[in-house]
Amino acid sequence: MEREQTDSYKGDILVVDDTPANLRLLVGLLTERGYKVRPIPNGKLALSAIRLSAPDLILLDIMMPEMNGYDVCERLKASDRTRDLPVIFISAIDEVLDKVKAFKIGGVDYITKPFQVEEVLARVETHLSLCRLQKSLQAKNRDLANTLQRLKATQEQLIESEKMAALGQLVAGIAHEINTPLGAIRSSVENIADFLKINLEQLPTFFQTLSLEHCQYFVTLLQRSERNYSLSSREKRQLKKALSRQLTSDNIADGDTISDTLVDMGIYDNITTFLPLLKDSENPIVLNMAYRFSSLRESTRTIMTATDRAAKVVFALKSYARQNTTDKKGMVNIIDGIETVLTLYQNQFKHGVEIVKNYTDLPPILCYYDELNQVWTNLVHNALQAMENKGTLTIEATRQEENVAIAIADSGTGIPPEIVPKIFEPFFTTKPPGEGSGLGLDIVKKIIDKHRGTIEVESIPGRTKFTVLIPITCQEDDERV
Amino acid sequence: MSKPAIICVDDESVVLNSLKIQLKNEFQDAYLYEFAESVEEALEIIGELQAEEISIVAIISDWLMPGTKGDEFLIHVHRKLPKVTKILLTGQANLEAIERASHQANLLCCIYKPWDGKELIETIKSGLEKS
Repeated sequence: MEREQTDSYKGDILVVDDTPANLRLLVGLLTERGYKVRPIPNGKLALSAIRLSAPDLILLDIMMPEMNGYDVCERLKASDRTRDLPVIFISAIDEVLDKVKAFKIGGVDYITKPFQVEEVLARVETHLSLCRLQKSLQAKNRDLANTLQRLKATQEQLIESEKMAALGQLVAGIAHEINTPLGAIRSSVENIADFLKINLEQLPTFFQTLSLEHCQYFVTLLQRSERNYSLSSREKRQLKKALSRQLTSDNIADGDTISDTLVDMGIYDNITTFLPLLKDSENPIVLNMAYRFSSLRESTRTIMTATDRAAKVVFALKSYARQNTTDKKGMVNIIDGIETVLTLYQNQFKHGVEIVKNYTDLPPILCYYDELNQVWTNLVHNALQAMENKGTLTIEATRQEENVAIAIADSGTGIPPEIVPKIFEPFFTTKPPGEGSGLGLDIVKKIIDKHRGTIEVESIPGRTKFTVLIPITCQEDDERV
Repeated sequence: MSKPAIICVDDESVVLNSLKIQLKNEFQDAYLYEFAESVEEALEIIGELQAEEISIVAIISDWLMPGTKGDEFLIHVHRKLPKVTKILLTGQANLEAIERASHQANLLCCIYKPWDGKELIETIKSGLEKS
């Protein structure tokens, strides 16, 4: 409470009366009982005294010249600062006291003159203690509101740190996911630089000495190699072998090397047009230069593919780690979120997890996208741990009547039946102290509750499945987790 | 007499494609280059090459791949082909795996992605000179 209070403090009372005798009587009476009393002779002075320092209680005479008690009271009630000050009206017994009016404009009580001492004291004490109680209630409410706010802030921090902890575990793996395309980009750039260094000066001579016939072969080779093929290493090997056999049967020397070069250029069928060139002893000059040009193109293609790969990982990181978990819902496709999470985990799957996806087309839903991503992250993370990074992760996205249903299943050891009821409880964890906060599934549950959805788990050894249902038409629910 | 072979293993075809150009630029037709997208495929290739009596001189392998990891693969190969130069080319360091490969597969070197082409070529050359 704002005012410093000691045990002897009983209350600050403002007494307003234009009759000096009444004023003296009331002041004497109340001072004697230990109250701090301020005598005020008229309404105007009363208002400025109250503005200066708010009393705990006001005894207010009704019949006063200039500004009567009702007017003073109405002014007090009109201001936020003084509205809650309790006012007890004083009225002479022979005056016509409009009790209804007195209460209507905000008085809490009235006393009549001549005063009955005990009555005055009883009424004063009653209202002072009511006032004290109210103040203490207000203070408690304020405290509670503060505490609630702090709790909410702490909870948000916990959610955030849980999210960041999951991210931390991912970072090592993500380094691999980014370094791989970076490696491809760097070596491709080196290849391009090498090409320029070695070949640029030779080019004028090369083209000048090229016969018209060879020139045509050169152009045809480049045109044929232009198509964007994507063959697996296995397919390439088989094509090379077949082509090598064909070349040997066509009496072409060094069939192995030539077939290797041609297949790398993406030329592996209808090679009869090139047979005269290949039989020509000068063929390596034309073929090798065409190969270098095509590998230049291959390098640029690699850079493009690798850049897209790296960008995809960075995008996933960005949408995952977005700080702004604000109250704003957005219309999004849930599958995009799941794919973001899977992109981040891509690297961990390589330790031996097979992913099976069964997605059906889902309508976009209004949801807290970031928070749902946290749900998928938690469930995928738990699934990977449950099967120690080896097994099958099945993700199903279907529509079930008015809900989207996302099921994430692992082939791990399963959750013992006796702990199933506990897994959504906060701070419940099966991990050793310090390794898990035990908040993962609690947060998952809260986020799903916020979306008015449900989460269920069924578990037998070898198959544990979490199913999340989220209503497609999410009702407005502004309550934060 | 057939040319000796260099084998590259990586589950990412972009890496294999750029390695191929790099190796061919450097060593031209001196070697046969084989590329595998998984350890299983690499073992198949090794089997075929051995059947054709083609000698394998170097293996450059990624570490983190679906299925068998690079260190296990090299250790496995080392039992049959102890003289082959073995190099790990990886985007993520797993120190235990590298140590295992060093001890049990006589790993020449672990090169990290993104790698320096010259460093890789020099490493391969130094390995080839030794054997």
